[in-house]
Amino acid sequence: MREESDKELLDRIAKMLDGGLKTMTEPFPEDNFQFDVIVRELAHIKKDDVEKKLVVSGYLNHPIEEMRCMECMYYLNHRKWCNLPEIDLPAEPDWWCRLWRI
Amino acid sequence: MANLLWLQGGACSGNTMSFLNAEEPSACDLVTDFGINILWHPSLGMELGNDLQQILKDCVSGKIKLDIFVFEGTVVNAPDGTGTWNRFAGRPMKEWVKELSAAADFVVAIGDCATWGGIPATAPNPTDSVGLQFLKKNIGGALGKTFKAKSGLPVINIPGCPAHPDWVTQILVAVATGRAGDLTLDEYQRPKTFFQSFTQTGCTRNMHFAYKVSTTQFGQRNGCLFYDLGCRGPMTHSPCNRILWNRQSSKTRAGMPCLGCTEPEFPFHDLMPGTVFKTQTVMGVPKELPLGVDKSSYIKYTGAAKAATPKWAEEDMFVV
Repeated sequence: MREESDKELLDRIAKMLDGGLKTMTEPFPEDNFQFDVIVRELAHIKKDDVEKKLVVSGYLNHPIEEMRCMECMYYLNHRKWCNLPEIDLPAEPDWWCRLWRI
Repeated sequence: MANLLWLQGGACSGNTMSFLNAEEPSACDLVTDFGINILWHPSLGMELGNDLQQILKDCVSGKIKLDIFVFEGTVVNAPDGTGTWNRFAGRPMKEWVKELSAAADFVVAIGDCATWGGIPATAPNPTDSVGLQFLKKNIGGALGKTFKAKSGLPVINIPGCPAHPDWVTQILVAVATGRAGDLTLDEYQRPKTFFQSFTQTGCTRNMHFAYKVSTTQFGQRNGCLFYDLGCRGPMTHSPCNRILWNRQSSKTRAGMPCLGCTEPEFPFHDLMPGTVFKTQTVMGVPKELPLGVDKSSYIKYTGAAKAATPKWAEEDMFVV
């Protein structure tokens, strides 16, 4: 079976978010200890369970204030990809999640 | 000929192990080429018992001229300020340290423990350890704030866990050959020739630092270790990427975050769980930024750098 391309996966995620998928945008981790709790939760999710990863990480299809994927440390601008190993999913530069880091 | 005496207090011998691996110059070169006479060293000295005690007494009395007193390890004060948890040659080591330091032309502290207390002095500091002239960032230590050796210099601090062997031998050569006047020390009495630049100076990951590409897992050759894995290279003064370890590599080159071991606060955060190999953050921004950079500039610079990141910086350039 053909694997889903990055672009196809990005489109699928965009559709899920446009369709009103509710994600856990709060609490935003105030420090790295709270950050690690979320990362540990993500680490237990199956790699192909995209929806659950979106929910736990708090994916949004818009920025929050001045925070957006484009400036995030884990974001690969050219690939349009979140490189945090526990997320490892595509994202648009103007999106956001609660694991935003610079 | 310069007489050198090396003693160890509360130590793991790591700095001795490091010293014996020196290459430029080597420990042997100190003796054969630079006229250093090693009176006694814990791993090299032949004397034991009364013979050793006599050497120490003769150094204190001046019968043997003590040019350089090198100390490795902490000065132990426990229990109750007596220092008897670290007895040596018949008395608390702290007493030898005080008397030998007063007799020496130069006093050199090697490694974090001797300079500012290092790991033994980390809270709760059960051995009541201090460095020769500092306890962490606070000046004082075992010899006191105003201590100066006979040469007029305070304790020369060569920190590190361990100190790089060539930092040690090169400073000893400078002192032994009458070039101590060329040494300038920073506020923590470290020779500026080694401790003015940063660990980051010469780091092979600087391109990824500039383009804000993070290493996210150990073993990745791409990316910068500062953003996620707690690397202290941009805040730590050391020449680790200028004078390479084993003439080959450095922590950051090998993919290991710098732990900041040449700074007085080492080990940082008292080694609390979740603080080692992890960048400390507040609301997504590193708590400690590269030295001299403020938060607002860091945020602006990050935005610009990420926007300018070339495609190659996001890919693994180490393909073979």
